[in-house]
Amino acid sequence: MNENTMQVMPPANGEADASAAALSERPIAIQVNDLDFYYGKTHALHNITLGFPERSVTGMIGPSGCGKSTLLRVLNRMYDLYPGQRATGEVLFAGQNILGSGLDLNALRSRVGMVFQKPTPFPMSIYDNIAFGIRLHERVSRSEMDGRVEDALRRVALWPEVKDRLQASATALSGGQQQRLCIARTIAVRPEVILLDEPTSALDPVSTARIEELLDELKTDFTIAIVTHNMQQAARCADQVAFFYLGELVEVDSTARMFTAPRESRTQDYITGRFG
Amino acid sequence: MTRQVFSQAAGRPQRSGVLALRRKMIDKLATGMSWLAMLIVVFVLGSILWTLLKNGLPGLTLSLFTHSMGAPGAGGGLANAIVGSLLQTGLSILLGAPAGLLTGIFLAEYGADSKLARTVRFVSDMLLSAPSILIGLFIYMLLVEPFGHFSGFSGAAALALMAMPIIVRTTEDMLRLVPVSMREAGIALGAAKWRVILFICVRAARGGIMTGVLLAIARVAGETAPLLFTSLGNSEWSLDMRRPMASLPVAIYQYAGSAYQDWMQQAWTGALLVTMGVLIINIVVRVGIRGGRT
Repeated sequence: MNENTMQVMPPANGEADASAAALSERPIAIQVNDLDFYYGKTHALHNITLGFPERSVTGMIGPSGCGKSTLLRVLNRMYDLYPGQRATGEVLFAGQNILGSGLDLNALRSRVGMVFQKPTPFPMSIYDNIAFGIRLHERVSRSEMDGRVEDALRRVALWPEVKDRLQASATALSGGQQQRLCIARTIAVRPEVILLDEPTSALDPVSTARIEELLDELKTDFTIAIVTHNMQQAARCADQVAFFYLGELVEVDSTARMFTAPRESRTQDYITGRFG
Repeated sequence: MTRQVFSQAAGRPQRSGVLALRRKMIDKLATGMSWLAMLIVVFVLGSILWTLLKNGLPGLTLSLFTHSMGAPGAGGGLANAIVGSLLQTGLSILLGAPAGLLTGIFLAEYGADSKLARTVRFVSDMLLSAPSILIGLFIYMLLVEPFGHFSGFSGAAALALMAMPIIVRTTEDMLRLVPVSMREAGIALGAAKWRVILFICVRAARGGIMTGVLLAIARVAGETAPLLFTSLGNSEWSLDMRRPMASLPVAIYQYAGSAYQDWMQQAWTGALLVTMGVLIINIVVRVGIRGGRT
């Protein structure tokens, strides 16, 4: 749906059109088709169709309870933990409908990583926080593990701050450091997709800025989906933005067009702060 | 909102004055009662400790730790009772802690609100408040009567049965305190549920779980009733768990009820030892919790 509409839509302005065109040429990493989601009897997502272009950032915005986090939790089947939650429709990832039964969920989650709103360092050392995920899926030698841990910490720019205290408890880090550690932990497993659920809402502005910079770098290697309440953040980080309202996908478009010339009046109202 | 409340109060100065006085009096009264209650408790505890120290310390000699119990006037010690208590309590924790831990993990992580879990939780709580003499009788029927003699093993089994529900409850409570986000973060990395529980949840709750185990030790170390029908007591030096075994609480029970001066002295000293042991465990728990928080 998004590629088609992008091509059909009249250009808002030259630059926005160019970025939209570049985005629409990218292959799709995850394609969601006609997805419906239920919490028991509550119908939380209605007929969602949305593609996540490879190696780019998709921002998901909308007021609380609109279903954006719910969609995120479908993409790594996190909802499976809770009986009574179910999804119908199709989510295509690596040529497979991940909603199908008989899927190896642990393997899926190693390919689709997730970072949460509150930093969740495990109660172990900084080193072991990173090594934990790697050990789950691979057998690596001690020296290789050291390298993998260092790589992951370097990618999130945490290495200089923690290299002398890798064996210290991760819970002693600051909130922003903890969140970067969680991102490092996720990318250490070498996923293809990273899902971020309001990753900066518990952080101060400086830490937030660092995470946003980080996203810019990470998208060269990973497909990123980020849920955010912060409109500026979506504008700064995302290549495409999807606006959700009351469980429906109202509109999805390149970030430039979404914030300059949205097609739907509800989108316009939300991004200008008239509600939400 | 606050301003409104203030202006309202200002509009009725008289009534608010009476109210304020009333509140102050109730506050003073409640504070006074709390202090009184606290003082009573502290006085009772202090009095117990003081009496124990006063009567127990004079008997605290080296021979108490080197000699086994003996006939009145024969200069016996409490060595076999001390070792017996250590052995039986130690074995009871070795038996009770794994069972309690696993049951607690089951209740918190797997059973949740299922019928089985609710039943297990109910039974465990019943056991927690069951009279300890009943537990002794139960083990007597199970492990003493069929074998035809009392034994240290059956004593340890009875104590394990007392320790288990304490560990079950604290383990479950502590695991439930581990935030959902921590579990989800583990699952999101592609970890299987058992790995998340074992390597993340139990780790996160390990301080509280250890506290539960230590409290269980403190609880069973001073138990007398479950041992009366199981390990019985033994005045000889014995490390054989298949035979009757001495323990401090039972020795205190026997000596304190006797008419001999030196036995009574040793009962006081034994009581002091048990109390000090329990006190030390409790202090370790407190310091440990404080250390774990920072």
